[in-house]
Amino acid sequence: MKQENIRNFSIIAHIDHGKSTLADRILEITNAISKREVKEQMLDNMDIERERGITIKLNTVRLNYHYKGEDYTLNLIDTPGHVDFSYEVSRSLAASDGAILVVDATQGVEAQTIANMYLALDNNLTIIPVINKIDLPSADIKKVKQELIDTFGFKDEEIILTSAKTGEGIKEVVETLIEKVPAPSGDPDLPLKALIFDSLYDSYRGVLTLARVVDGELKVGDKIEFLETGSTYEVTELFVYNPNFLKVDSLKSGEVGYIAASIKNISDVKVGDTITNSKNPCTEALPGYKPMQQVVFTGLYPTETNKYNDLRDALEKLKLNDASLTFEPETSEALGFGFRCGFLGLLHMDVIEERLEREFNLNLIATSPSVIYEVLKTDGEVIKIDSPQKLPEITKVKTISEPYILANIFTPSEYIGSLMELCQNKRGIYKTLEYLTPERAILHYELPLSEIVYDFFDKLKSISKGYASFDYELIGYKPSNLVKMDILVNGVLVDALSTIVHKDFAYNRGKVVVNNLKAIIPRQLFVVPIQAAIGSKVIARADIKAMRKDVLAKCYGGDVSRKKKLLEKQKEGKKRMKQIGNVEIPQEAFLTVLRDEEIDG
Amino acid sequence: MASSVYIHIPFCSHICTYCAFTKFYYNKKMVTDYLNTLEKEIKERYQGEILKTLYIGGGTPSSLDISDLKELFKILKVFKFQDDYEFTIEVNPENLTFDKIKLFKENKVNRISMGVESTNINCLKYLGRCHDFSLVKDKIKLLKEFGFNNINVDLIYALKNQSLEDLKKDLDNLLSLDVQHISTYSLMIEDKTILKLKGEEEIDEDKDYLMYDLIRKTLKKHGYFHYEISNFAKEGYESKHNLVYWANSEYYGFGLASASFLGNTRTTNTNNFKKYLEGDYYSEIEKLDKNDILSYALILGFRLIKGINKKEFYNKYHVELDSLYNIKDLIKDKKLIDKGGNIYISYDKIYIENSILINFVGE
Repeated sequence: MKQENIRNFSIIAHIDHGKSTLADRILEITNAISKREVKEQMLDNMDIERERGITIKLNTVRLNYHYKGEDYTLNLIDTPGHVDFSYEVSRSLAASDGAILVVDATQGVEAQTIANMYLALDNNLTIIPVINKIDLPSADIKKVKQELIDTFGFKDEEIILTSAKTGEGIKEVVETLIEKVPAPSGDPDLPLKALIFDSLYDSYRGVLTLARVVDGELKVGDKIEFLETGSTYEVTELFVYNPNFLKVDSLKSGEVGYIAASIKNISDVKVGDTITNSKNPCTEALPGYKPMQQVVFTGLYPTETNKYNDLRDALEKLKLNDASLTFEPETSEALGFGFRCGFLGLLHMDVIEERLEREFNLNLIATSPSVIYEVLKTDGEVIKIDSPQKLPEITKVKTISEPYILANIFTPSEYIGSLMELCQNKRGIYKTLEYLTPERAILHYELPLSEIVYDFFDKLKSISKGYASFDYELIGYKPSNLVKMDILVNGVLVDALSTIVHKDFAYNRGKVVVNNLKAIIPRQLFVVPIQAAIGSKVIARADIKAMRKDVLAKCYGGDVSRKKKLLEKQKEGKKRMKQIGNVEIPQEAFLTVLRDEEIDG
Repeated sequence: MASSVYIHIPFCSHICTYCAFTKFYYNKKMVTDYLNTLEKEIKERYQGEILKTLYIGGGTPSSLDISDLKELFKILKVFKFQDDYEFTIEVNPENLTFDKIKLFKENKVNRISMGVESTNINCLKYLGRCHDFSLVKDKIKLLKEFGFNNINVDLIYALKNQSLEDLKKDLDNLLSLDVQHISTYSLMIEDKTILKLKGEEEIDEDKDYLMYDLIRKTLKKHGYFHYEISNFAKEGYESKHNLVYWANSEYYGFGLASASFLGNTRTTNTNNFKKYLEGDYYSEIEKLDKNDILSYALILGFRLIKGINKKEFYNKYHVELDSLYNIKDLIKDKKLIDKGGNIYISYDKIYIENSILINFVGE
């Protein structure tokens, strides 16, 4: 393939604006897959992605298209839409030369439309604006067009109208892409230089590295070197994905593909690193990526203590596929040995936990998420803590500062009042309110990050009936009147249930937490008091009544195997709980301490 | 060696809302095919042991018509009984007729178990039963006139909207029947039942407990001896058949979905009618090792209020009862009581028995 006939591009959009469906249609018209094969959202591989209708991991697929007498190769690099995954977005954009910006004709420009658009501009990409879902009765093409023109300065005539559902406009998108997006600029005659932008683990082949060749050529049998880690390997196989793995002999400058090199050591492959040929190395590494900032931290513990090593192996494998995950060993008196893990956000945390449970068959307990606090001690030392347990004794603490974000909330104007109330309850500081149009506004608030990590996003969505969207950036630390709230179950302090709360909100929060724990912890053989305390002062208490009934009244004729099975199942259920003192605490309990309202029922 | 037999009759004239057993609407052709296969199964498997107990359950055995029942009793002629045998059949009041009772009497049946379930018309409706208490009284009277002097009635309690007063009235009514045995079951809403499909839920455990407490106090006061979690009997009228289960002794189960325990194997028959007719009887076979057998001995034996006799246990299994699992700790915790040669669950803990029994299963 001639380099000038290659196009590397991404699709960027706000979540749910139809990016994955648009990708499916492009796959279809480039005949990468027959219509019969189209499962909804072809590029979303993971079960979790299909179930939740979101794209988490980026996927790359090579497509062929014949246009004006020439054959073109199009490398489509899919991107996730959720705010937590903007790191993945920036990785895929670094490997692209152009981007299709998709906006939903019924929703218009949203928070992540803007955030992703700015990322694309930072990478000097050629942008092709597309209004999707024009087949829907509620589509308002004129209004959305105007938003695109006003917000980003597009011209009316360059905006393409599509329906990924009916296929309308898809051909135009592909052909515009060929016309407008520049061919890759690398030099095939220079020494090999390739950018690693993803990797995955294959049990037969070891680590598969996904890379874009910038300069030179990569061939099977080549000795390659990773510049940052310094390790060298021999290339055993090269693949492109179309969307099945297809073996190729070489990857030339501008091309994107998977490299197999019998890499067993997961830590040798770092996303953002540069690959070169060890016989004829390039002199300079590619810029790579800024290391990603983890904002949410949680302790992950296996429910069975002998699964600690399995959890470590699983985290290492996931880390290979997800550079933004961090973890280090942690010990809890209540939960034993586990890991303190850092995530980009709550959804990211959720997805990792679910993948650990599903793909690695682990039973986990996650402690309540925490942010990083800055503690100024009385001796003048400043320490950073990512867990309430690490907070020094209160007498040694002068001030505690917490990270703040600037939240940009896009909303129809009718929800402004309720959203302001939400921000106020989350200790928000009002900044400004801008009207995009009389019906749409952007609300700017400064909020403590700790207040949004738990349920802010869900509440925002429910208050606005799904119409509001939000994006945020970290703006630094501010001192707050914070205290550590401990939870005692049956008189025993459970370290994993401690949280850091604002003093003014502590009483109320304490009451909610003990009541929620009361609802979640099953009755035991005895009465169990649950107490919230600050220092030695108890601020709230609820008692779990003793168990009254746990019996199988009827035994089915002689079918006593069934009774045994039921007892075994009950025992298995207990295993998923954590025994603390003489009380069994289910997994959910560790997360509920952050809820700020009571569970129904 | 097995000396007990259970036979399942999976037919009913109507389907109750709480029932999760294997059953079908009565259909003459199906019954004929079924009885033919049942006869075949018994001939293939029964080794000619002398029986101590025979139990015909369902379903509703009394939903069979006279000719079906005659056919059934003809099949049962193959069984040999010891002198003090117990032969129970389950009946529903609405299809128990004079002729059927007569047939039972002529065919060695000496114990009747009647599905009374409730005496309150609203509760009966909720359970999907189609009789009332006056019919129960008539049929019990008739049974007694035929000389049946070992009768059980079933009671279901802990129903939505049932008050303690309703339950008290049920108990008074049952006591007025003056039968020898009363089984009481807290309503379980199980999968694949009409109640479950309707989205009904079990009542809260505090109320359930109060009801259980009322039952055991009332029945004890009136001379019924609480001998198993759910069962009460006048002295000497405990269900010999059920005691076989609790003693972890061997038994045959014939018919659809029935369970057997023979040698060191527990088997469960298929609940697939077609497969059963084709002679493909078993759906599950569980081979037991020494530990499994001990596990069963404990989870079954502790259902009895008097618990497990240490000496008998040693004679049967050649291992000291209190050396197993964490029994010694449970005794220390007062969850188990070691007294008079027996180990048993403390009487105030029998209603949360499962949380004790799970110590004796799994790893």
